[in-house]
Amino acid sequence: MATIREKGYHHWEGQLRDKPWNFWPITRTGIKLAFERRRFKLLFVLSFLPAVIYGVGVYVSERLENFKFMAQGVDKTLQVNPGFFRSYLTLDLIFFEILLLMSLSGAGLIADDFRHKAIQLYLARPLSKSDYLLGKAGVVMFFVGLLTLVPGILLFILKLLFSGSFKFFLNYPWLILSIIFYSAFLMIFFTAFVLLASSLSNNRNYVIAIMWSIYIFSNVLGAILRIIFHSPYSALLSLKANLDQVGAAFFLVKPPYDYPWFLSFLLLISFCLLAYVVVRRKIRGVEVIR
Amino acid sequence: MTAIIEALNLSRWYGNVLGISEVNLEIQPGITALLGPNGAGKSTFMKIITGQLKPNIGEVRILGEKVWNNRHIFRRLGFCPEVDAFYEELSGFEFLFFLLSLYGFTTAESRKKAELALELVELTEVKDRQIRSYSRGMRQRIKIAQAIAHNPEIIILDEPLNGLDPLSKRRIIKLIKEFKGEGKTIVVSSHILPEVEALTSEIVLIHQGKILARGDIYFIRELIDSHPHMIRIKSPHFRQLAKILAGEDYILNISFKPQENVVIFETHHRDRFFNRLNELILGSLVTIDEITSPDDNLQAVFDYLVGK
Repeated sequence: MATIREKGYHHWEGQLRDKPWNFWPITRTGIKLAFERRRFKLLFVLSFLPAVIYGVGVYVSERLENFKFMAQGVDKTLQVNPGFFRSYLTLDLIFFEILLLMSLSGAGLIADDFRHKAIQLYLARPLSKSDYLLGKAGVVMFFVGLLTLVPGILLFILKLLFSGSFKFFLNYPWLILSIIFYSAFLMIFFTAFVLLASSLSNNRNYVIAIMWSIYIFSNVLGAILRIIFHSPYSALLSLKANLDQVGAAFFLVKPPYDYPWFLSFLLLISFCLLAYVVVRRKIRGVEVIR
Repeated sequence: MTAIIEALNLSRWYGNVLGISEVNLEIQPGITALLGPNGAGKSTFMKIITGQLKPNIGEVRILGEKVWNNRHIFRRLGFCPEVDAFYEELSGFEFLFFLLSLYGFTTAESRKKAELALELVELTEVKDRQIRSYSRGMRQRIKIAQAIAHNPEIIILDEPLNGLDPLSKRRIIKLIKEFKGEGKTIVVSSHILPEVEALTSEIVLIHQGKILARGDIYFIRELIDSHPHMIRIKSPHFRQLAKILAGEDYILNISFKPQENVVIFETHHRDRFFNRLNELILGSLVTIDEITSPDDNLQAVFDYLVGK
């Protein structure tokens, strides 16, 4: 056998660095790619409209005397309390906007990697599958957090600023934690939902269809069964109803459906765990037979 | 010399389909080519040595460390997949910068290394263009750039010359040879013998998931030359050509396709045959329209070697 080597093996002299934020470049690139779509930018700006309206609501609630001439009974309907924050975070429009933004920025997160067979580029680098998933999850969490956590906290701060005192904070000292934890819950749920859908196809259009179908179909099915069977438990089939039910529990207000809130909580958590298992299996399943 | 890559009794199946079977291989520094027809198991082997597939049986060690579930080893290894694996919306520079940042390099380091890699593959001028606008050759080069940008000691290139025009092929061959000159270990897969010959003399023949032969190109050539070659010649003087060559001792068989003006020779001394043919052409005894070797492809070589 001929010898063809000329220099031989060079010892590697670098240092192995293991960063706890290995996933961050994936998240950063995912966010950057989302903003490169013109339609996304427009939708992103528009999606803050509900937060702005709620912000105006907070302002008006503190200046009721000045606005009484505009609408009668505004002092009764516009009360900034835990229910106000809960209504913002469970608003149909917010979930709609999240799905809309995710259709443009989240649907392709894993699907595009499948399509381009890019998983092998990630896995041939010092990244674990968890890093990969965390990086992709970070993109969804970033946008869902921007629509839920950030406005929630800002509304709370605005309330304190406009009232000019800490009375509201002292009345509801747990409220800020409710906002944080429920927003985190939404971030985890939507991350699982979007990544699961994204891992089910290598075509982002199909992924978008899957996301919307599951969300709308579950809500419609829940509503129809509620009408037919008159059972509140029918709401367990609806994603939106379950999120509402859990939201009510987080904000200590009366749940909209007459069944224990933890059933919805357990159902949604189980969905997230199932999504994690499926997505992880899908990532492992990238194999090329030649 | 220590083996850089050691494959020990590797086997991998995809359900009932065999990927590779009982592969034992030691790869030393320099360029080693995995040569085999499509479906031979080259990509499976490469996926196993890059830690993307777990072998059902056996183990791979790179620089003495096991590969599976050992992500640190990938700092020392660069992999260029056969298929395009791009974010088409990114520019060439952004693509490299992103992949480099996955190694934990700082922004400045990633920027510098991306620039350097682009320079090496001669893509600096188009570095800010979106990858979707790149030609086939450029795409192949950016793929190689992402494999070498972090300056790995081991480079795994899966069919790097596939689908390239001759100029791009020459560029990439030159580049791969430069890596060899830097003392790196390069594993290249291909199913085209002349491409491999241009790259290296160290060849591993892989077929139906097994290592069929291993050695330098001359050893492989000898194996091939011990079997008859078919040479198809199209000429207006095909009968005359057959008559002249029929007397030569290295001609084993002659057949005709008169309606196409074609004569087919079988010989086990290709070099002697072509020397004689050159003499005839130079002596203006015959004119030739076309010469092809119907079996001068890898599948035919493998068929010979496995005794089909």
